[in-house]
Amino acid sequence: MSTVSPAKSAGALYWPVQMRRNIGVRSLFIVVLAFLVAYGVLFPGLFSASGFAKFTQSWFPLALVAMAQAILMLTGGISLAIGATVSLGAVIAATTMAGPLGVAGGAAAVALTGLGIGTATGFIVVRLRLPAIVVTLAGSFIIGGAALLVLPRPGGAIPAWLSDLLAGNTPAAFVLLVAIVLLWKLYLATPLGLSLYAAGENPVGAYRSGVPVDAARVAAYAISGLLSTGAGLFVAAQTGSGDPVIGTAFTLNSIAAAVLGGIGFLGGQGTMRGALAGSLLLSLMISVMFFLGFTPVAQYVAQGLIIIGAVAIPQFRKVQQ
Amino acid sequence: MTAWNESVGGKRALAILRSRPFLTVVIVAAVWIGASFASRGFGAYGHLRYLVELGAVIGLVAAGQTFVVIAGGIDLSVAAIVTVSAISLPLLSWPADPTGLASILAVLALTTVIGAINGLGVALLRVHPMIMTLAMATFLQGLLIIIAGGSAVTAENPLVHWLGNARPAGIPAGIVLWVIVSAIVLTVMHATPFGARIFAMGANPLAASLSGVPVASTTLAVYGISGFTSGLAGVLVLGMNGQGYVGIGDPYLLASIAAVVLGGTSILGGLGTYAGTIPGAVLLVTITALITVVNASPGWRSILFGSLILGLLLLSGREQARR
Amino acid sequence: MTTAPLLAARGVSKSFFGNPVLRDVSIALQPGRVHALLGENGAGKSTLINLLSGALRPDGGAIEVEGRAVSRMTPALARQAGIAVVQQELSLTASLSIAENIGLGAYPRRLGLIDYTALAARARAACELVGLHEPLSTPVGHLSLGRRQMVEIAKALYRKPRVLILDEPTSSLSATETKILTDLLERLRGEGIAILYISHRLNEVMALCQHVTVLKDGICTADRSLAGTDAAGLVRLMVGRDPGDLFPQWQTSKSPADAISVRNFSAGLMRDVDLDVRTGEVLGIGGLVGQGQEDLLLGLYGAIPARTASASVNGVPGLPGGVPKANALGLAYVPADRKREGLHLIHPIITNMMLPAFARLPALKLRSRRAERETARGLAAQLGIKGDLARAAQALSGGNQQKVALAKWMPHDPLVLLLNDPTRGVDVETKREIYLMLRAFAAAGKAVVLLSSDTPELVHLCDRVAVVREGRIVATLERGALSEETIVSAAMGAEDRKVAA
Repeated sequence: MSTVSPAKSAGALYWPVQMRRNIGVRSLFIVVLAFLVAYGVLFPGLFSASGFAKFTQSWFPLALVAMAQAILMLTGGISLAIGATVSLGAVIAATTMAGPLGVAGGAAAVALTGLGIGTATGFIVVRLRLPAIVVTLAGSFIIGGAALLVLPRPGGAIPAWLSDLLAGNTPAAFVLLVAIVLLWKLYLATPLGLSLYAAGENPVGAYRSGVPVDAARVAAYAISGLLSTGAGLFVAAQTGSGDPVIGTAFTLNSIAAAVLGGIGFLGGQGTMRGALAGSLLLSLMISVMFFLGFTPVAQYVAQGLIIIGAVAIPQFRKVQQ
Repeated sequence: MTAWNESVGGKRALAILRSRPFLTVVIVAAVWIGASFASRGFGAYGHLRYLVELGAVIGLVAAGQTFVVIAGGIDLSVAAIVTVSAISLPLLSWPADPTGLASILAVLALTTVIGAINGLGVALLRVHPMIMTLAMATFLQGLLIIIAGGSAVTAENPLVHWLGNARPAGIPAGIVLWVIVSAIVLTVMHATPFGARIFAMGANPLAASLSGVPVASTTLAVYGISGFTSGLAGVLVLGMNGQGYVGIGDPYLLASIAAVVLGGTSILGGLGTYAGTIPGAVLLVTITALITVVNASPGWRSILFGSLILGLLLLSGREQARR
Repeated sequence: MTTAPLLAARGVSKSFFGNPVLRDVSIALQPGRVHALLGENGAGKSTLINLLSGALRPDGGAIEVEGRAVSRMTPALARQAGIAVVQQELSLTASLSIAENIGLGAYPRRLGLIDYTALAARARAACELVGLHEPLSTPVGHLSLGRRQMVEIAKALYRKPRVLILDEPTSSLSATETKILTDLLERLRGEGIAILYISHRLNEVMALCQHVTVLKDGICTADRSLAGTDAAGLVRLMVGRDPGDLFPQWQTSKSPADAISVRNFSAGLMRDVDLDVRTGEVLGIGGLVGQGQEDLLLGLYGAIPARTASASVNGVPGLPGGVPKANALGLAYVPADRKREGLHLIHPIITNMMLPAFARLPALKLRSRRAERETARGLAAQLGIKGDLARAAQALSGGNQQKVALAKWMPHDPLVLLLNDPTRGVDVETKREIYLMLRAFAAAGKAVVLLSSDTPELVHLCDRVAVVREGRIVATLERGALSEETIVSAAMGAEDRKVAA
């Protein structure tokens, strides 16, 4: 259908490429839509301003960590330190923003920490050739320990106006998410960004083609770190204070969301829009179960079952064919 | 003929000296010697014995983990299974079972089945091991809270109590158990066709299956073994602790993977040995003990622990690039 | 020819794991010339390309660009010098579009972003050259192997190379695509580009190239103009003997009894095939690449799901339905891709040899290392595999790896050998040994099913050849009717189908 003639307009190639990327995730989009409708029926408040704000706020940190995990998995890596990094971001935000550094200084500290952690991890994994699982596992201790040093027990504070802005009755979370997605699209339109796929799927071929494979992978780790501490900042704003272990659950959830979204473990498989949809699905599932009166415990049980089902069913169908 | 034998023996001796398990043993010895000079009491027989006893729990969990990792997978549900074992054991006791043996066997059967379900998901549903075992861990966590609530349960099982506290011939029963399990694991791994199949699966699953290796049933068995040894570790930890509670197994997930990797087993599968995991487990408890000696805050302890593992990996854990 | 060669190797040598692969080889690529590089599989062609393109560094000798020696050739330097390589192993990324693949590593930029307009224009131009008319936004993963090969070539052209190296570019191309490519190379030659062309299709080489370098076992045996040579002469240079000597003399040992018999057999690409494999015969499976031949073997072997109306394997009714069951019924399979499917490269040779035994023995029976060593040493002696059996299999040359892949089945005395291109990438001597083995195997009353992409092999070695096209057996040729022409014409569908069984 897209037999575009060569020199039409600037979008002649870019947009068809973007459309093609939807093909693999269409069925996921439909499932997410179905859940959204179910949620809307159960909880009509979704369509009010405050309901929408609350909903996007509960999704936002999960969306960020899903992106953080997905970008690594696209390059063939993985991180088991996402949760600890979120915690560190949260405690740094809670200890700096109300202090002399102010909100801007605190945000800069959070961002720099994330970039620094990511770059260091990426360097160790990529340049020193240590397996990512083990490095990030050890890293989770170091990062988690650092979070405990910054704030040994829950405390600190986020300026009230910032909490109100990010987690109050505003669509700030949604706007931020849109902005982050746009930034991601921009990054993916750079040579380094697009190289992620080649570096993950066919590193030897990519290297032969002149792709800076190592740089692309280290950059992915750096961005992943930034997204994780950013999620921590937001979580701190939600709760109004810092907690050195608040991020723990995000490690598992980030992997689950990415995999639900169709990101493969071998690198180069999947799309960021899939990962975002996966995180939305996970977030919706949690909300729907909450609304149906599942105890938090039963939610665990159901979540485990749903994740396996969601991953196994498409695989199973493939095997059957 | 004898010359030939000698040369083979010499080669073998050289191979052992160069091997990762041996390197790990050397590191453990060096740390022990260094620490006993630095800290009075560290090198005392009682303390070292205590360290090895703690290492037994990690060693048991890591036994199953070693199998799984060599087979090319990973088991992230071991911590949850340890907890399942430690909590369900006190709940499963019958008056008709005065020694407590029957309830222990029932619990081990339960955890083995849990592991086998992991294997089922990986082998038949083709779910990635990380996802399958992670989801299993999430599932079990929920189930445990439903069953046990937030409270600790006390074990009144005589055999479990014996296992956690008795010292036949001066050696803690836990260590005896570990020695027995280690002997069995090493034999199965290196001296049976089953062990050889696991290495083949981990190195190249496709080639293994085309060579007639029953990949599905072997995968099932490998995860079943992991469930079993985690269950056994849960029994031991319950005996040492006296009480089981939700979260009792949590430290053992990272510890088991770290012990496997520090012992020289490739996280990519196909290469490795439990003979390396054993000193790896002892090394881990030693590091933890050292950090306790330093008397730092929990944050510093965690940082030190992570950095030491990372440092040891840099020293010896480089993976050859292979694809 | 007084101009300096654009790219040259002077007396280069290279060895892997102690096996010399290239010894003192020189080659010079002149502008405006298509230079053929010929040699058997495993003769060192790929290694030579990797040296020329900087992917590997020579142990001895030098690489020269425009007459100047480059001390440390790297892929980056090669790219700067305008050297583009189309490797057999594609450098494409399935999830990216055609255009994004073509420009990979050399995207046009605007404000730091990929300039998709310029990329579309330049990629389109490169695609036009090779006759790729698919939308540029098509993900490469959706293309057939032949079309991917064309994308790979377009990717090389996109870089406006001065030296173009093509490693078997036509192996997965259709006749039309091959024609487009040869026309294109003619034109590029006219524009003064130096081209190095590697192919096994001698008629292509004779038509296209002006100069030839022949490698045999890592040594340069000819470096001469193609004028005044014929195809037979080239073969003699490559093989080092007359092609006829390669194959053993044999008498048919075919018996009327069926080892395998299937009716309406379907598996993978194969649809409703009837096939009988007799004991004591070598049954060849021929056809163009990827028509479903491999699925036929894998389906019989139980490695992929298969359906059939009726079947019997060594007297047992029904298909095995699983590899362990197939092994128990006396089937053994040797895959084509040794590295991915046949061997455990990181494991010792002895473990590789014993794996089928490990798969069949009771799981918890104690192993006897001594017995394993004895069996393995016996196998090694029988097949002429030299050296320490405790070495990793990756240390072996291609031919020896293939021997290990075959050897591991021998202790089980299989009744039917299913072989998938067993001589691909194998040196001539090993080929000969494998041929002798196969005929001896058949003479002992067993059956061999030989899938081969090498037509002479089918002609000279098989009692019968079943030719597969589009998932069906379109012809079964008896020994008397076997020739390269009959096989190829059946494979191309040129012949009437009345020969079909």
